[in-house]
Amino acid sequence: MNSFDVVVIGAGIIGCSVAYHLSKTGYTVALVDKGDVASGTSSRCDAVALICDKKPGIDTEMGFTSIQLYKKLAKELSFDFEFSSRGSLYVCETDQELEIANNYVNEQAAAGYDMKMVDEKELLDIEPYLAKDLAGGIWTEVDSTMNPYLVCFAFVEEAKKYGLKLYSNHEVKAIKKRPDGSVEAVVTDKTTIHTKKIVNCAGVWAGKIGQLVGIDIPIKPRKGMVLVSEKTKPVVSQKVHEFGYMLSKFEDINYSRNVSKVVEENNIAFTIEPTEAGNFLLGGHRSFKGYDITSENRVMRGIAERALRFLPVLKDIACIRSYAGIRPWVVDHLPIVSDVEEVPGFYIASGHEGDGISMAPITGRMMTQLISNHETDFNIDRLKFSRYKKSSQII
Amino acid sequence: MVVKSDDNKIICRCEEVSLGTIKDIVHHFHCSSREVKLRTRAGMGYCGGRICRTIIEKVVQDINNEKVSNESQLSYRPPIRPVTFGQLGGSENDDES
Repeated sequence: MNSFDVVVIGAGIIGCSVAYHLSKTGYTVALVDKGDVASGTSSRCDAVALICDKKPGIDTEMGFTSIQLYKKLAKELSFDFEFSSRGSLYVCETDQELEIANNYVNEQAAAGYDMKMVDEKELLDIEPYLAKDLAGGIWTEVDSTMNPYLVCFAFVEEAKKYGLKLYSNHEVKAIKKRPDGSVEAVVTDKTTIHTKKIVNCAGVWAGKIGQLVGIDIPIKPRKGMVLVSEKTKPVVSQKVHEFGYMLSKFEDINYSRNVSKVVEENNIAFTIEPTEAGNFLLGGHRSFKGYDITSENRVMRGIAERALRFLPVLKDIACIRSYAGIRPWVVDHLPIVSDVEEVPGFYIASGHEGDGISMAPITGRMMTQLISNHETDFNIDRLKFSRYKKSSQII
Repeated sequence: MVVKSDDNKIICRCEEVSLGTIKDIVHHFHCSSREVKLRTRAGMGYCGGRICRTIIEKVVQDINNEKVSNESQLSYRPPIRPVTFGQLGGSENDDES
């Protein structure tokens, strides 16, 4: 009989990290996925771990701790996942944006994070190909980059040394419960795996897994397209993005950019990052289109248009490919890292939106602490699944 | 070590991935063509895998003893041919809307 201490559902970045941390702690773990490792969002994303795109507070704290954990993992894991800390640069188009950026930096700096304002001249010293008419920006030293699917492979390889069993191409069809309502087994299309604990790391598909135990997990897929450049000269040396990116991520920031219809309608904000291979990834875009990950012509044009505004040198550089992924979005932009009161033994680690890569190590650690009944690194009351129950009661 | 001459053949010309590298990865990880792509970059270069894709799939299927299927694991993505960002997003683009 297949029996494990914990079954982790979803072999994306979160599931791989959770499975690694649990295995290392000594639990017997099965990692189940309907496809291969990193076959969903974690191979259709960009590849950065940032603090500069987080809101002050627990969001930034977890992001920062996660980067420190990645630095350790890059040394510990035997598999190279192309980690490097290059820093990141926000660029502001207007003085008004610069002022909002300044307030944001002051708040983050007061909390002890190393972010600093740069003026229009320093901006060009750091990235000489940028447009000459920008107002200034923010430089964040700690921000880091890696290869997202190689991180998944690295976690799995390492976890296998501690006994992890990988069930790839196993689609979860049902979850059996005991008479007392606690979890008993995960039924896939090929086998049944017995367990007392299940962690739902299915990301954008977490809601479908939730339905199998009768709970409603309010995660929605939020699409994002990426354009890949040919291998070319170093047009940027780090992640560079417009401060307006924050505005596309968080709906509650009251500022609107002077942009074209296609950029506005598709919620496009300039971002570019170098890859280890020498290509550049360009984005970014956010929209709700269900589970559709086709490449949209208009969005490709919008991303290119916005990129040319900030980095005119791209004009003669080729776009060789585009792809789209879907982020697990939740309304309050904080992941769910939680037990589920009504289903004993069922846990959720999902809903990281665009921060899955960024927050995977800290999520894996805290989920292991939760399952072990140890105190978590951070107070994760705000990450509890029950927060949604409360809000729906108020409504 | 004696290297078989075939193994030195370049399968993915854009990323310069040899047959030997692809075979090693499949033997070691027992993986799909998609995973071969992610682990070696074969098929991720300038041509978008349009030249080497079918060969990679054949090699993977031969080693894994799978039936050759018509359905590809390796996807084609737009644009069909490389296009400059200037053409894609510049003012000269013939936006239909």
